Amino acid sequence: MIFSIATKEWKLLLKEKGTFFWLLLMPVMFIVLFGTVLGQLGSTPQTLTYIDMDRSSASEALLASLEAKGGYKLEAKDAGTLDDELSRIREGKLSSLLVIPKGFDGALAEGGNSQASVVLYSDAASDTVAGLRTTLENVASDYREQRIDDALKSAGANEESRKQALQSPLRIEDKPQNSTESNTVTQVVPGYTVMFVFFVMISMIRRFVTDKTTGMTARLRTTRMSPLNYLLGMWLAYLGVALVQCTVLLAFGHYAYDVQLGDLSAIAALVFMLALCGTGIGLALSMVVRGENQGMAFVQLITMGGAVLGGLWFPLEYMPKAMQTVSHFIPQYWAQKAFQDIMVRGDHLSGILPSLAVLAAFAVACIAIALLRFRGFMKSALSG
Amino acid sequence: MSYAIEVEQLTKSYENKAALRGIGFKVEAGSCFGLLGPNGAGKSTTMKILSGLLEPDQGKARIFGNDLGTAANEVRKQVGYVPQSITLYEKLSAADNLVFFGEMYGVKGKELKRRIDEVLEQVGLADRAKDAVEKFSGGMKRRVNIAAALLHRPKLIIMDEPTVGIDPQSRNHIFEMIRSLQQSGVTVLYSTHYMEEVESMCDSLAIVDNGQVIAGGTLGEVMDRFGTQAVYLELQDGKAPPALAEYGKAEAKDGGWILETATPLDALADWAEVCKERSLKVKRLEMVRPSLEHVFLTLTGTTLRDN
Repeated sequence: MIFSIATKEWKLLLKEKGTFFWLLLMPVMFIVLFGTVLGQLGSTPQTLTYIDMDRSSASEALLASLEAKGGYKLEAKDAGTLDDELSRIREGKLSSLLVIPKGFDGALAEGGNSQASVVLYSDAASDTVAGLRTTLENVASDYREQRIDDALKSAGANEESRKQALQSPLRIEDKPQNSTESNTVTQVVPGYTVMFVFFVMISMIRRFVTDKTTGMTARLRTTRMSPLNYLLGMWLAYLGVALVQCTVLLAFGHYAYDVQLGDLSAIAALVFMLALCGTGIGLALSMVVRGENQGMAFVQLITMGGAVLGGLWFPLEYMPKAMQTVSHFIPQYWAQKAFQDIMVRGDHLSGILPSLAVLAAFAVACIAIALLRFRGFMKSALSG
Repeated sequence: MSYAIEVEQLTKSYENKAALRGIGFKVEAGSCFGLLGPNGAGKSTTMKILSGLLEPDQGKARIFGNDLGTAANEVRKQVGYVPQSITLYEKLSAADNLVFFGEMYGVKGKELKRRIDEVLEQVGLADRAKDAVEKFSGGMKRRVNIAAALLHRPKLIIMDEPTVGIDPQSRNHIFEMIRSLQQSGVTVLYSTHYMEEVESMCDSLAIVDNGQVIAGGTLGEVMDRFGTQAVYLELQDGKAPPALAEYGKAEAKDGGWILETATPLDALADWAEVCKERSLKVKRLEMVRPSLEHVFLTLTGTTLRDN
């Protein structure tokens, strides 16, 4: 009888176009959109607008160095357009302008205490200027090293001793601890999978409320169906939906964006527990809410709030410390963490047990609430 | 005599408002029983109790001898409930709806398939089995609504206003179906606001008001006890007929005049005599059978019952 109720529900869901949109099409669209946008961040060269008033080999060398070090696409402007370009910066239409003044080459060649200078005009509100400034400082550091090297050479130092003198006392050894190559899509695919699993609550609340208000729940009570069968049948239906949804979205991420899923048995256990948790909350909400509108408000709060606090849209490190603490009370955080543990850090089932336990605790708590409220739900359905 | 339904002194209150105040009646097995009453009289509450949806505060109800309080599951096997509202999944086909309800009633496999074919034939929708219910007319939906309650071959069908808002053809089909069910031994408990439906189909009835039965018995018994006989007279010139002092005052109705009396034959003869004496041209002069609607309104009053 439980399976009959679930089968009926699956038939209904297959007939409702909105189900596909909310549960499959929408998350796929989000993954494609954010995967594409975030995946290409950094690969598109930033434009460096400049005015070279010196037009010397030294200024050309400086620009070539900036292009090589920062990966900038150089865009030259005439000296006569300086005022116009500065106006554009003030209007927020241009983020920065590098001006190499006349005499740059001479000042650079003069040596001694003389300093050649460049001017960086910038929009204080722009986030891209900091990167350009760092690149400029790196290039300036190269010039300084070159001057030291020239001075040591003049003093008669040989190449070996000059090399030793210029060698930094600090060496950085880069050793990534993740066993799998990580990229932004590795954040996006599980993030939106977790987020949209919770959207199954919309369909659950809508069905329970509709069944109650149309008298369907009451009519079914005149059959041999027990109230508990009804609850379990509906839950089984949406548990299945959430499992299929997760499978489709992760498979899409894997085949479309080459997201490495890691240990599949661990992923399967996590997906099951996530589906249990999401549908458990949906079940509890369906029993608690007074109507569909109230239910939708709760769903928005849980899905959107949980997405932000659970680190589904961006890494949690970007958030204030207090918010990071709050996120530990959000199921989405534990689901996303477990996905990252498996997919990025190469963890297996044993490594994600704490996350699975938290998701299971959420599921059990919500199912307990649903069971406690179920009598009231049925009473309300039967007296209507 | 065996009874399909025995109701004794049922009471039920909703938030201190009494819906049933000791209602009681018996329905003979295999009969069609009409439950009449104005809005809020307690009909639906009674039907919900008999269907196992509600528990009474006090009193007893037995279905084929099984106490609803102690043998509810056994009762559910024997009862098919047709609610007032159409409770079907509109997106699903008629057949899919019936598969679901059949399984809820515990019918499975080939037997379910056979029963679906049979009930669709019964309700005249065998050729529309695969169509989504949302494409059906109101009458067709009502028929599927009834079909869903027949799948498990119930011995008692409880129908709560099953013909509300449907076309005459569908209504006639439902009547034929009910008669057919009755002929096969099924007991029907029928609630409606249409008096002519009760008059044409029900063997016995109960009129309910304020949570109590105010009149009950066979149709003939109720009419004999509460229906006043009358004589109808209509003159060709449309004028008022001569008064018959000993019978009281005639009242205008349907273009003529009606005179209620316990001795309609005498009144008819006297009126004919007077008309003859005064050379009045008579269009119609006849004894009138009292209608159930008249009895109903006499017993329950004409005040609107919107709640």
